[in-house]
Formats: sequence, structure tokens, C-alpha cells
Amino acid sequence: MTIKRHTLAALGLVAVLAAVLAATANAKSSDTRISGAGSSFVFPLVSQWIPALGQAYGYQVAYASVGSGAGIAQVTARTVDFGASDAPLTADQFAACKGCVQIPWALGATAIMVNIHGLNKQLHLNGKVLADIYLGKITSWDDAAIKAINPGANLPSTKITPIYRSDNSGTTYNFTDYLQNISKDWRAKIGRGVNANWPAGVGGKGSSGVSGVLSHTDGGIAYADIAYALTNHFQVAAVKNAAGKYVTPGIKQISAAASTIKSVPGNNEVHIVNPSAKNTNAYPIATFTYVILPTKSDKAAELRKMVFWTLTKGQSYGTKLLFVPIPKVVLAASEKTLKQIST
Amino acid sequence: VFQGVTGLSGAAVVGLAILIAVEVFAQASGAMSKFGVHFVYARVWDPVRNVYGAGDFIVGTVVSSFLALLLAAPISIAIALFLTELAPRFLRGPIGLLVEMLASIPSVVLGLWGILVLGPVLQNTVEPALNSAFGFLPFFRGTPSEVGMLNAVVLLTIMIVPIVTSISRELFTRVPPELREGAVGLGLTRWEAIRGVAIPYVGPGITAALILGLGRALGEAIAVAQVIGSATGIHWSLFAPADTIASRIANQYFGASSQLQIDSLLYLAAILLVITLITNVLAQIVVRQAERRGVL
Repeated sequence: MTIKRHTLAALGLVAVLAAVLAATANAKSSDTRISGAGSSFVFPLVSQWIPALGQAYGYQVAYASVGSGAGIAQVTARTVDFGASDAPLTADQFAACKGCVQIPWALGATAIMVNIHGLNKQLHLNGKVLADIYLGKITSWDDAAIKAINPGANLPSTKITPIYRSDNSGTTYNFTDYLQNISKDWRAKIGRGVNANWPAGVGGKGSSGVSGVLSHTDGGIAYADIAYALTNHFQVAAVKNAAGKYVTPGIKQISAAASTIKSVPGNNEVHIVNPSAKNTNAYPIATFTYVILPTKSDKAAELRKMVFWTLTKGQSYGTKLLFVPIPKVVLAASEKTLKQIST
Repeated sequence: VFQGVTGLSGAAVVGLAILIAVEVFAQASGAMSKFGVHFVYARVWDPVRNVYGAGDFIVGTVVSSFLALLLAAPISIAIALFLTELAPRFLRGPIGLLVEMLASIPSVVLGLWGILVLGPVLQNTVEPALNSAFGFLPFFRGTPSEVGMLNAVVLLTIMIVPIVTSISRELFTRVPPELREGAVGLGLTRWEAIRGVAIPYVGPGITAALILGLGRALGEAIAVAQVIGSATGIHWSLFAPADTIASRIANQYFGASSQLQIDSLLYLAAILLVITLITNVLAQIVVRQAERRGVL
């Protein structure tokens, strides 16, 4: 039968490709090939770093933007030299990774995007309203709670469609981390994680899936990293911070949030959602993203050198991509952790 | 030697299938001992609190696959009949080839098409039309949405149609000409001959083809994950988001937060294996019957 022949041919092709890939992966490179995989959030920044690292040290870095979850899985299996994740490793993930460390190496933010036909000005949101929307308690855009914080906006009675990431995502972690920080209800019912038991709305696979649904759904609301939101020209909401100010995410507002950090815990897990009112410009949904390294590696020296470069010189490449240089206290902790990497 | 090689290949395939099944069940044991049989009908999936159940996804899997089958069956049989009985000879080859090419579209590409092209059409045209025509049924109520059960059903239908069509076509061409000539000789019209002779003759074979298609639909992960809206809950409305076992596994396996979540996803996989096993056994039984009647 023809179908069978096609399938066989396809299988043959796959087998050949797999063999070629395996051969390239196993090819004993003379010295400085470094492979990484993970976070798609940090990918634009890593793509800027790769040529610069090539010039600085002659390293050939290959990075696969496969998502934080897959990045963790691959470094756990040691099929790559480093992983990258926007969510800190969980206890189970640390255990499975057997001697891995996480190092915050970039700082960005999650934007809240909306698609509301007929809205005449930038939408204002606060944590409680946002939580109630995703809890399914606030269901239309002309709800009194939304009207109260948007004076002068003509909010339509359109039904709200909350859109979330259906795959495991560091952005979801950042978003739910913020919601549980600000809403008791959210903390009690949902909590925080790379995925959640969403009580309302629809899921999209990847940022592209989420934005696909958002762009066609009048009344939709979704979240994605800020660079993604801006390059795709979505309306971005201003979110109320602890000081009571409505803030649009940008370089200044994210660094303001980061400036509130005083110390870094031993496992380098840093949370900067809903920072204290001290810095009135702080954007409340910012996050660190992490590089995950095995403490024992054949390429320990190269990895140390590469990550040190990204933490120092590399930070300046972030600005136009809306990544903010990591604050000094975090840099110090990162450098300290980096010393644990050895052969 | 030939017998040895073929025998070995056969044994290898069987062995591999058994190994995979054993491995899936072994890996799932963590969740099995934790949640027991309760997992099968529990309707919760909470990665934050680490509580899992398969109820919603079993329903989503069965509903999406059977609805797709329901749509695919008449379409496929109609195409097969058209290709064998009605179409001018020069069209049969090209059309048949095109239908079979549908089967070779990678599901991730089909999924992209589903979200970019099909979704908006469903949302803006098809679903409002269904709602105004059949809104008295609970299946067609609710807000039209570009992702949801209906989108998944349509994609699965597109995946099943080429499988069922190509097998059915093969079957129709094998209807003995004597039978058909006899029927026409008795004064039956072409349609009566098809309905009275050809369809009963190939019926069991087509049933088997449909069950093969069903197996494809049950296991489809990526395309469904892209368009079904991945939500828990069971809704009457076809416009609402839902989720299937395969899609849930595709979405949550990488970067799962805990070992228990991974175990639970493998428990889902084990349930899916059992469901496909049942449909395949059914297919075997039907094919046997067909063989006895000399169709295949």
C-alpha cells in the first residue's frame, strides 16, 4: 500500500538524519565547542552573546531555544553543557540533576498584553484585579473593579478571555509568583509554578500559541516576556506597584525593581515580584533567568569563563532587548557560585 | 535465512512493543501507588499542589477522537466511492494521490494551520452559524473561540480521512465485478448497487479502517496541543477548551516540577496505551470477521 511505502521512506529519512545528528553531536571537537539549551525568553540575548563570545575567546556556542523545561531536562541528561531556565529549579529537579547549580545571568520582565476593541487608552491593572480575572471571578471588561482603576477609559462589556501557557513555562512561573504574592485568594487556590490548575480561560502552546489566540480574541488578556509583547505590537497594560503607581514595563522600571534586592540565598533563587514601595518606579512582574551548570564538567574552565563574561561584559548587550544588567549583589553571588564548577 | 530474518524482525517489533509497555507501566508505578485506581476518574490536575487525575483528559480524548471519526467516516467513504465508481478515470490517480498526501503533512504543521487559519474561520463563521442553526443543543452554545474542542475535532478528522479513504478505496476496487454486474443485471441503479452490494461487502473492512484511524486520533499529541486550548473541565459546548491525554503529556512532560508529576504523566500514558490496545483488539476482531467473508 502506498501509505506504508511513504511511512517507510519517511522512517528511513528520519533514521539517516538521526544518525547524522548523532555523529555531529559525538564528533570529538578539539576544544571549545559549548552547547546549551533551554529558555526561549533569554534566547534573543544569548544570540547576541554567541558572536561576541566567538570573538573574545574563540568559543563556538550553540544554543537551542527549546524552552526552560526542555533545557532543564537536557542538562540533567548531560546532553548539553549548560541549560537555561526562567524558573528556579524545584527540589525534585535539583535532585534529578545530580550536582547542578543555578546562576542568575539575566534580568527581564513579564508584560500583560490585552486585545480590547474600542479601548481608548492604556489599560491599568492591579494584582488583585489580575488575579480575579485569571480566577474567573471578573468576567467582563466593564466590571466595576476595572472601571474604578481606569477613570476616563471607555471599557466595553466584552467578555474577558484569560489566556495562559499550556506548556511548562518560566514566564508562567513569574506571572503566578506575582499573583500569589499579591492575592491571598490566588495563593490559597492556585499557587505558583511553571504550570498551574487554571480555573478559567484557554491555553496556548508557547508564546506564539498564546499570542495567536490573543490576536484573534476580542477581550483577550495574556502574558509574555516584554520583548515578545513589544515586537508583536500588543497593547501592554500598566500594572500597579507597591508604591501605588501604574507602571509600564521598561528598562528603568525593571532596574528599579532589581535595586530593591538586598541579599541572595544559597541556592541563588531570587524573587523580585511586587518589590517594596521604596522604589516608586519599580515594575512589579520582573524576574531573573538562570543558567544551569553541572558542577562537574569536562569543559569547566570554558564554562566558567563563558558565564563570567555573560555576567559582566555580556550584560550590556541586553539593553535594546529589554534585559537589565543584574545588580551587584546578585553578580557577587553568581561569581561565587561559578567557582564551584570544576572538572 | 529469509524466514529467520523476517521472523526476527517480527519478534523484535513485538518485543519492543512489550518493552515499551512494561517501561511505561514501571515508570508510572509511583503515581499508581500514590493515587491508585482513583486516578482514572479523578478530575483534577494541579502541578502546584501535586494532585493529579485523568478524568477530564480521558473524556477529552474519547470525545475528540470519536467525533472526528464520526465526521471522517462519511467523508472518507464518499471520497473512496467517488474515486472508484464515479470519477472520470484521468482524475482518479491525481485525486487519490492528493488525499494520501494529506496523511504526510507533519502534525505540527497541521497544528499551526489549525491555529492560524482554521481557528479564525471557526470562530468568526462556522461557530456562529452552528450556534444560530443548532443553538438549542448544548453542544453549540457558548462563546465562539478559535481554540477548543471543535478545532481539535476538525484537525483530527483531516488526519483520519486519508487513512480511511485509501483503505476504503482499495476495498471498493476489490468488490468482485460479477457481484456488481449481477446487481445491475437485476435492474438495480448504480446507487442501489453500491448501497446494496458494494457497501455490505466491504463493511467490515471499512470498520477496521475506521478503527485504525481512531488509533491515530487517540494518540495525536502535538496538533491537538496547539489547538484544543488545554483546559481542565468537561463542557457540553464544542466551542469550549478541553484537553486530551496525549496533548497533556506533550505540554507538561518537559520541565515537570516534580517526580510525581512525571509519574502521573506516565500513568496517563499507560491509560492511553490501554485505550489504544482495546481499539486495536477490536480492529483485529473485525478484520478477522472480514477475512472469513473473504473481503480482505
